[in-house]
Amino acid sequence: MIEFKAVSASYDDEMPVLKDVSFTIDDGDFVAFVGTNGAGKSTTMRLMNGLLKPTAGEVLIDGVPTTQLKTSQLAAQVGFLFQNPDRQICCNTVRDELLFGFRAQGRADAHAEARVDAIIEQFGFDADAEPFLLNRGTRQLLALASIIVMETPYVVLDEPTTGLDFRECAKVMDIIAQLHAHGTTVIMVCHDMEVVGDYAQRVIAMTAGRVVADGPTFQVLCDRSALDATHLLAPQIPQISMALVENDPARADTALARANTVDEMLDALQAQEGAMSCGEVS
Amino acid sequence: MLCLKDFSFKYAESDRFALRDINLAVPDGCFVGITGAAGSGKSTLTYAMNGIIPHCYPGDFFGSVIVGSLDTVDASLTDISRLVGSVCQDIDSQMVASIVEDEVLYGLENFGVRTDEVEVRLTDALEAMGIADLRTRTIDSLSGGQKQKVALASIIALRPKVLLLDEPTAELDPASSLAVFELLREYAHHHQTTVIVVEQKIALLADFADKLVIVEKGRIRFDGAPADVLAHSEELLEIGVNVPRATSLVNGLRQRGLYRGSAVRDVDEAVAVCEEVLA
Repeated sequence: MIEFKAVSASYDDEMPVLKDVSFTIDDGDFVAFVGTNGAGKSTTMRLMNGLLKPTAGEVLIDGVPTTQLKTSQLAAQVGFLFQNPDRQICCNTVRDELLFGFRAQGRADAHAEARVDAIIEQFGFDADAEPFLLNRGTRQLLALASIIVMETPYVVLDEPTTGLDFRECAKVMDIIAQLHAHGTTVIMVCHDMEVVGDYAQRVIAMTAGRVVADGPTFQVLCDRSALDATHLLAPQIPQISMALVENDPARADTALARANTVDEMLDALQAQEGAMSCGEVS
Repeated sequence: MLCLKDFSFKYAESDRFALRDINLAVPDGCFVGITGAAGSGKSTLTYAMNGIIPHCYPGDFFGSVIVGSLDTVDASLTDISRLVGSVCQDIDSQMVASIVEDEVLYGLENFGVRTDEVEVRLTDALEAMGIADLRTRTIDSLSGGQKQKVALASIIALRPKVLLLDEPTAELDPASSLAVFELLREYAHHHQTTVIVVEQKIALLADFADKLVIVEKGRIRFDGAPADVLAHSEELLEIGVNVPRATSLVNGLRQRGLYRGSAVRDVDEAVAVCEEVLA
């Protein structure tokens, strides 16, 4: 469990970037942090793996404040994917990159070698390839793989799909979803509301260093006041759903108001259209 | 007018063509969105438009690329850059100064703009991008969105005929992305500037572009009005190009026989179609 208790943080000890933030992330959660640039999302992520320590309040990982944990102890619990893979990748081959975390922790044993082999096969990497000669999408996958290989109970992902095309984005997110399905707690920052809607179970919306909404994904993404406060747009299907209900409030009790995906909206429209053809709905 | 005619290009170190048989005509003042899967040739296409190809990247060049009255093979890169202003994907690699106004002044001074005109251009560019209040700020202290606007201001201060932008909103939140596209559209219409944007955010392109170009494996697969191109949603998804959910919804209604009209490109149009279905 990750707990933020009245956390404030600053980079210069003067201007607070995070102000009195509190929340709890339970084991097995899949949480997306959303908000505008500068809202404090990346700062929140850095507090989780100890890159930054709070100026007030406490960040607790499984009950222990990050101020009492060494960086190596935190790294063994919280895997961290940087927004830009080029700030993370530092070795000359894919295999060395995947072994880097084990070596840094003094655990480069037979188990580590076997884990790396398994990940290379799962991701379809060329073990001897030079990371910096790979394309952007493959470098992002390598950075993600170097986190997954460590089997940390928590992974923190700062905009894991930035700069990726549609297929690469789907591949990265499907791997993250599998990781979550196997019990890893996933915390990510994401600007793509469609991706958030497709994958996250819970959304924490931030603005100006504060949490303004926290709840099940579509509850937050369809909350007008939260959207206005964070200058965000809901995913397109919920936007359409909200507009249809605004146009006719009687639709609030129908499947049209609950549709979050293309298929759900198609089914709702077909059912409503069919019912009207039969004269069941006025 | 920007015109690529029977254009093909193979990088010197490569054994295959990066672009092949490209024919594309962009009228003055047009807002063009270019998208495609990674490695499809989008960036190479921008290098051809701003003269980086063939002047900086050697290789086999076939056909022609004409910008205004300049043939990019014959014209110097300096002359091409007076017509085509480019904003890089990685804006940090474009920044050369530490203060915002110095960043904008850098291009103006290098282009030899008359001193009595420099202040007007500087002020106009900062105001057009809505960052006049950042004029004396250090670039290090700016957010990603603010830096993006500084990069854009630096280029529009040069008053190019064509603005060429490679993923200008990659690191921006949805509100900032929308704001950048609105600024670009307003600027383009006001100054009759052609805007060409390479972008993965298909919903934004669909909303703002007059013309959508889809590149696949070095060739242009689709080229037309956004709604016409997005009508091919299944083919687009097959070649790794995303489709706005609003478009997919209406295409689904067409497949189910609930709607017979044309494809849509944004939420407002989709809501109108849904109301038509429900009427």
